[in-house]
Amino acid sequence: MRQRGWGWSPIGRRRWTMAALLLGHLFWMGLGRGGSNRWQHLLNLLAAPPMAASSRWERWRAYRWQRVGNLNQAQADILALRAQVAALQTTREAEAPRVAEAGEAIRLLGLKRLLPLDFRAARVIANIRKAPFGGMILDQGEDVGLTPDQGVICPEGVVGRLWDVGMAQSSLLPLDAYNASTGVMLARSRATGVLQGLGPGKAAIRYIGNQEVVQVGEPVFTSGLDRVFPRGLLVGYVSAVQPHDVELHVEVVLAAPLDRLGLVLILPAHPQLEIQPPAGPAEPAAPGKQGGK
Amino acid sequence: MSQAPGTPKVHRFFLALLCLGGIHYTAPWPGPQAVLNTFLVLGLAPGFDSPLAGIAWAAAGGWVIEGSLRLYPHLGGTAFGNMLACLLAFSLLLRWPPHALKPYWGRQAVLVIVHTLLVQFSISFAAGAHTWGTGWLWSLVLIPAWATLALRLHPPLHRK
Repeated sequence: MRQRGWGWSPIGRRRWTMAALLLGHLFWMGLGRGGSNRWQHLLNLLAAPPMAASSRWERWRAYRWQRVGNLNQAQADILALRAQVAALQTTREAEAPRVAEAGEAIRLLGLKRLLPLDFRAARVIANIRKAPFGGMILDQGEDVGLTPDQGVICPEGVVGRLWDVGMAQSSLLPLDAYNASTGVMLARSRATGVLQGLGPGKAAIRYIGNQEVVQVGEPVFTSGLDRVFPRGLLVGYVSAVQPHDVELHVEVVLAAPLDRLGLVLILPAHPQLEIQPPAGPAEPAAPGKQGGK
Repeated sequence: MSQAPGTPKVHRFFLALLCLGGIHYTAPWPGPQAVLNTFLVLGLAPGFDSPLAGIAWAAAGGWVIEGSLRLYPHLGGTAFGNMLACLLAFSLLLRWPPHALKPYWGRQAVLVIVHTLLVQFSISFAAGAHTWGTGWLWSLVLIPAWATLALRLHPPLHRK
């Protein structure tokens, strides 16, 4: 007897397969009917999940690509900035002496405006101060009218005097040289003495009587009695005071940075004892005095 | 006279394959192409042991003829009509096995008409309005040739 069933038998499977074939064709034919919007909508609905996943994947790729691009750009920028920094450092190191000299020149210019004297600027081209009987070499000489014993100052204080003048160069005897003597006075007591060098950066004042009251830290100015410097230029500060027989042994720390001088001002020969500071800007007249008597 | 049991099945298989090739290569001549399709659907496919194999061959014939013609905007109608006609022919062979040639011609003529209507209806359902053509007329006219061949060279199931 022939089997008639739709169960899990060879005939049943064959019948299911035929039914699937027929229904599949029917469904496929139905896809071609009517307007395409309905099926397009269905296809869009079915394609939505993979499209969403694809969109997220594309966004992630674009984000990653942008990040990689940013990283590469940042690395390129870092390399460029490093090169620029290196170039700027090289330029700065090359310009550093000129910048320092310019700063020093600005300060000299300010000092020159404060003191009504005919200064002459000079550059220190050698500093052999720490050698025995050493000093400094300036780049000005007889060709600009320099003579020995002209005072030399810098914005911080007195430097020394010209010792020997050549045709185009001069040697400078700093204040701390052992054979240097300069007329000075103390700021409070106005006691005068002679400053003699004691070595690098230090000097001592001679001929201060032991009855004088000298305090540590007291400023020391030029007295003008040596006719090399005018009165009132800062020389240094008292660092130690000790009685010594009938006089005081007063040690002074020099104000001028003798180790790092680049530009100095040369005072005229035999300057005036007293120098008057230039007059300040004129004050505006009071409104009540405009009418006059 | 004894016959090897597998021989008719193999012959039928290769003849059906030949029909598929013929359908494809006779695309420039729709009349003979329709005859080959009808012969495959109503003459050869119902003779397979399994109706599943029969409708598979019939569907293949429909897809090949539509693919070669490239006339319709949506394919599949001919294949569906072929399958339904094949199932109908298969059930007729099972219920009323043919005993003579001329009644078999008449039955095939009716089946050709039904097959034509099914196919045209399916194509209308799948692809919309279309031209019927004269293929069905070619199949009707040439029934004495292809139906006789189907009955004599490859006896249906009842003659095994």
